[in-house]
Amino acid sequence: MRDEIAPKKIGLADWSTQFRELDDSLIKKYRYYGNSEWGIYLSPPATFMVYGARELRKLKFDNSLAALRLWGFTFTEGERLFRAKQSGKHVIATMGDLGTVPVIVMAFPDCVPFYPDCTWWTPFFNESTVLLDKAGELGAPEASCFVRSTLAAFHKMAYFPKPELLFASTGASCDDYSCIMQMVEDMGYELTWLEMPYRRDHSDYYIGDDYAATNQGLKYAKRFESYLIEEYKRVWQKMQKISRTSEPAQLIESIRKNNRLRRLVVKIKDVVYNAPIAPLPGLEMMVIEFGNLYGYADIDEWLDILEMVYETIDHRAQKGIGVLERDAIPIAWVTPTADPQLLNIIEDQGGRVVATEYVINQALVEIEEDIEPFSALARSFLNASLIGSTADRIRRITEAVNTGRVAGVIITNMLGCSHCAMETRIIEKELEKVPVLAIDVPAPLGITEQLRTRVAAFMEMLKCTTS
Amino acid sequence: MHDILTPRERFGLLVIDERPDRCNIMPLITSHAATLKDMKLKDYYTNGENMARAQIAALETYGHDAISIFSEVGIIAEAMGSEFEYPENDLPVQRMPALMNRDIEDIIVPDAQQHARLPVYLEAIEYAYDAVGDRFPILAYVPAPFTTGMMLSDPNKFLMQTIREPESIIKIMEKSLAAAIEFCYHIINSGGLPVIVDPLASSSVISPRAYMQFALPYERQLIDFLHRYDLDVILHICGDTKPILDLLPQTRADLISIDKVSMTDAITKLSAHMRIIGNYDTSKLAFGTRDIISNEVTQLVKRSIHSRKGYIAATGCEVPVQTPKENVMAFINAAREAGWYWG
Repeated sequence: MRDEIAPKKIGLADWSTQFRELDDSLIKKYRYYGNSEWGIYLSPPATFMVYGARELRKLKFDNSLAALRLWGFTFTEGERLFRAKQSGKHVIATMGDLGTVPVIVMAFPDCVPFYPDCTWWTPFFNESTVLLDKAGELGAPEASCFVRSTLAAFHKMAYFPKPELLFASTGASCDDYSCIMQMVEDMGYELTWLEMPYRRDHSDYYIGDDYAATNQGLKYAKRFESYLIEEYKRVWQKMQKISRTSEPAQLIESIRKNNRLRRLVVKIKDVVYNAPIAPLPGLEMMVIEFGNLYGYADIDEWLDILEMVYETIDHRAQKGIGVLERDAIPIAWVTPTADPQLLNIIEDQGGRVVATEYVINQALVEIEEDIEPFSALARSFLNASLIGSTADRIRRITEAVNTGRVAGVIITNMLGCSHCAMETRIIEKELEKVPVLAIDVPAPLGITEQLRTRVAAFMEMLKCTTS
Repeated sequence: MHDILTPRERFGLLVIDERPDRCNIMPLITSHAATLKDMKLKDYYTNGENMARAQIAALETYGHDAISIFSEVGIIAEAMGSEFEYPENDLPVQRMPALMNRDIEDIIVPDAQQHARLPVYLEAIEYAYDAVGDRFPILAYVPAPFTTGMMLSDPNKFLMQTIREPESIIKIMEKSLAAAIEFCYHIINSGGLPVIVDPLASSSVISPRAYMQFALPYERQLIDFLHRYDLDVILHICGDTKPILDLLPQTRADLISIDKVSMTDAITKLSAHMRIIGNYDTSKLAFGTRDIISNEVTQLVKRSIHSRKGYIAATGCEVPVQTPKENVMAFINAAREAGWYWG
């Protein structure tokens, strides 16, 4: 399929047409958890539309087999979690830390981590207010972040099975998310809270600490490392109570596997963001970046999918072909959008995402393999987006701006998200060399012509600037 | 008790072998929906928006768990050339089967977006999907090849051919299968979940041998096509299916909707393989008292909800058009009371 079809973005109907040509053996080949009875996931977007993902009618997707696998795999995650539990695995909710606790959970072979907070995308993919309305009934008002849909999902237990353990981060984490988790706890769920250090570097006003640097060169107070190690050891002990004992060697193995994933994503980003013509759309890239958090509940299969993605894009890049125009305007994207359609809209208007800051820096960096594993996890987490200054958070974007790789920046703000509200102006200031467009992501079905016009005007202005 | 889940969430759990808050309730409310909008039947089955609006009115009136886009089983045969009359307030009546005046080789596989009333169905699906698709499954009933084949032919001749000229029946089946696949393809792209209906393959009409030879293989091929999309497939065969109960798992349907057969037998023989849908008697629904309906539905649901792979409370066949509203409500309320899994 890779060599026969020219790369392009296609809609749902075109994917259905293309899917009809696929051989049955290919459909049966790809399975999560290796299960041939219920683990098949290679389906076109139309399948997930039939089951309620209504926005898929409006989206455009990459037309490669690798992208088909990517979408089929991510859209079957809910089912996969139920199947995991049915087949005797322990399903563990890991929330808020965005990328470190799952590495510990994956060290236990019979456990599957997942992020209930990722339910925040569901109302948008479904073009539905069902979860948001229910969250309102349960006490999370509409002025809170879309992550409130997680509260409704815990109430309904139809989007993921009841987890056997729930880890939730607080402290330097998203505040509305933390409030929602407190409400989940009030429902009767037992949560194990982990507190995230509020700042890596507080040398400006506290002089009594020793400092070190992360593998990304970020300065941090060493006692935060010690503190995080103790937090992660608590996670380990909790896990040992419900699972077959895991040997320390398995944690090292889990770190290695997650590093393999993280290195692969770095390679993919490098090719996609630097090729003369974008070999993969921005929407698929967002899905890929977020896969670093937990491999969408089957990291082995996810790795296999990403190997295929890499092969596809590398082939495209070498041939000088891709899915967007050669003269697409390079932009950086700051904060992930809850509504995936926005990524399509930017590209439809001639944009191309070449740098991102999705508040998950800690999940994108390699975990050190030559030191004690809990220490390595702590040090990797100290790269987190939310525990440093805004300048640290957007350091990669700033570099891209300063080297002329980015013509403009889009920031998607989420209603009720306080760091969005607090940081947007600071980010604009930091990136003043290029135009910045801040968008408040509207509720599901809320993308208006007015918003499209703002985006179009911004892109038009960038085109004039770059030409 | 109050519902915790939406119908879509409820159905979603059922098909991954999880118990939802209560059993799904999906009486086959099809053309009956038109009566709730005081709509003439002809206006229902010739206009997609009308069909969808009537279906939505039914949801609002009864609170059941699915949209059912359907009017009658001749829909594909008509698009292949069989002629139908449209009485003002009755379902379409076949006037001339396509094969009365031409050969099967001359019949084309219809374009679902153009031919006869197939576009009406697609329009209905799209309208309903836009309106309530986030909360309700949109079921779209598709006649199976055997039923379409018989609707293309003189029924007596067709049945005789199953014995004397099986090769000619095979040709009809192949073309009917191709037509059903094309229709399903467009239904899926419109947001509907195809439900395979094969009423003329019931043991009330044909022998188990004929079912095995001419109906089952094409049901299975159609279901296999839908399984390529990883869809969960409902097969509905109304009438008597007791003689073919053992054969039904061979269709590979995920859910089986049954009519004139003992639910105990069905559960015994099928529940390890398929989710079971059924099977309240529609004559009783139309003409019974509310008390009788309520008592019998309660018993039916209590007997069935622990069926191993899951159960949907439903009627055995379509709710008759003129069924009193209160009787349908009695069915729904009784099923809702008796069908709880949670709490």
